[in-house]
Amino acid sequence: MTDTAIAASALGKQFGRRGGWALRDCTFRLPAGRVCAVVGPNGAGKSTLLALAAGLLGATEGELTVLGTTPAEARIRVGYVAQDKPLYPQLTVAETLQMGADLNPERWDAAAAEGIVAAGDLNPKSKVRSLSGGQRTRVALALALGKRPELLLLDEPMADLDPLARHELMGTLMVQAAQHGTTIAMSSHVVAELEDSCDHLLLIGGGRVRLAGEIDDLLAAHTRVSTTADADLAPHTVVESRTTGRQLSALVRPSGPLPDDWRTGSPSLEELVLAHLRNPEAPALTPAEAAV
Amino acid sequence: MTTTAMTAGDLSAPARPRLTRWLLRLHRPALCVWTALVLAAAALLLLLHGPLTDAAAEGWRQYNHCAFNASCTYDQKAILRYKDWYNYATLTVCALPFLVAAWAGGALIGRELESGTARLAWAQSSTPVRWLTVRLAVPAVAVTVGAGLLAWLHQLAWSAGQGRIDTAPQWYVLFTFHANGPTIVALTLAGLAAGALAGLLLRRTLPALGLALLLTGAVCVTTQALLPHLWPTLGRTGPGYFYSPSRSWQVSGGEIADQYHVTYHPYSHYWPLQLTTTALVLAMTALLTLACFLVLRRLTGKAAPR
Repeated sequence: MTDTAIAASALGKQFGRRGGWALRDCTFRLPAGRVCAVVGPNGAGKSTLLALAAGLLGATEGELTVLGTTPAEARIRVGYVAQDKPLYPQLTVAETLQMGADLNPERWDAAAAEGIVAAGDLNPKSKVRSLSGGQRTRVALALALGKRPELLLLDEPMADLDPLARHELMGTLMVQAAQHGTTIAMSSHVVAELEDSCDHLLLIGGGRVRLAGEIDDLLAAHTRVSTTADADLAPHTVVESRTTGRQLSALVRPSGPLPDDWRTGSPSLEELVLAHLRNPEAPALTPAEAAV
Repeated sequence: MTTTAMTAGDLSAPARPRLTRWLLRLHRPALCVWTALVLAAAALLLLLHGPLTDAAAEGWRQYNHCAFNASCTYDQKAILRYKDWYNYATLTVCALPFLVAAWAGGALIGRELESGTARLAWAQSSTPVRWLTVRLAVPAVAVTVGAGLLAWLHQLAWSAGQGRIDTAPQWYVLFTFHANGPTIVALTLAGLAAGALAGLLLRRTLPALGLALLLTGAVCVTTQALLPHLWPTLGRTGPGYFYSPSRSWQVSGGEIADQYHVTYHPYSHYWPLQLTTTALVLAMTALLTLACFLVLRRLTGKAAPR
């Protein structure tokens, strides 16, 4: 087991020969054992990134290493749940789990999979086609967790769940991560949904990595400042600045001590993410820069 | 970490994912329909081989016995019934490549890629290459058994009528030729591969179904165009207009400088033509299958050597 779950360098994916780039120049490293939030607006390339890491898509350019090997080689140790939670509608819940056992003969953890389904009060005999969206999510998660993956890739896992089920399943995932050291990467466009459970952030916008790193480090690297409108923000890196009257408020990455007469505060994760998404020209902060 | 799974794995050889079992479970309705279709067609062919041929042959015997006696009666209904049911049976057998292609393009591959369940399958402890291999191999066995049985029964039914029923089709008539021998098995396998390719290319059920039918049609047309040239023809030249010998398949005929020339395949060319055609179709099937794996590799990136 390596200490890096996913490492990407200059990763790019183009759909079709003349199609647009869903991802371009993505470089980041996700250490093993982390719970990583993959955040970005709709169409940012989150799903493409997760599918690439799951070995279900081939990259157009760049390097992607998953669990120390190629995504295709690592596939057996990776669990993946796609955004629309595809399942075979003609199978029952019990048959779906039996299929998981038969297709993952060396890894299957029946108790874990059945536990997740049982917690949702699902009848094992009901057909998958009769399930609600949330119930399907539960079965899809059971199938992925039953495989006992070392890396779990979840594309918008909580979108269909009611708050109670969301809380309960997130708890199950955290227990899994804590007990087995599973690395989890889950995408969402709702930052608040992931803030409490995740310790790592990957912010993707316009097919590029905007922020990557430990959430605490990222928050520590940024400061919210307010000062007078004529203040000079150089040499600090400005992510976003706004002038209201004689007041200037900005989000900066300080490159040294800030003047004492500036009022400073630490941003929330949501503020940090929104500031970067609102300002596509703001320089990215990825491991290369963060590892100073 | 996975203690129970580990010990079980150490005791015996590593267990292989049971893909075949789940392919059969997922496509159980299709397997049932295929079995029912083969059994129904087999029953019809056995009926043709026995009672229907006998009744029609008796009808023809009565008719020929009548000569020019105007008040003579013969069993015309039996003759017409034979002709109808023979056509139904032959067309059913010749429709197999298209039925299999439509199913393979639509249900076997296209729908899985459209709904995303293919990705669900690939995310288990197997590879996309194994997934496609099982998806082609298992139906190929069912297709070979079913189409092979029907071709053999069709050959039996057709032979029973030869020389006894005056309107029974000759060996070289398009549908009869294919329904009688291994070419239909090869064409049905080509339909399977064409369907799979269409599904992988379009990744949507209905368009894949359409393309599968088109590709299979193209294979059939190509085969039919090349068929007469797959074995050397015999030729005859002489003054005045004349036909090729009886029971032979005339391929060309024409007049050059007062000499009339025909080329033809005698009945003795039946098996050489069947076997060369089968080989040609199997070669096209192999190309289609290769294309399937190339498209799959383009979809999923480089395959893991497992």
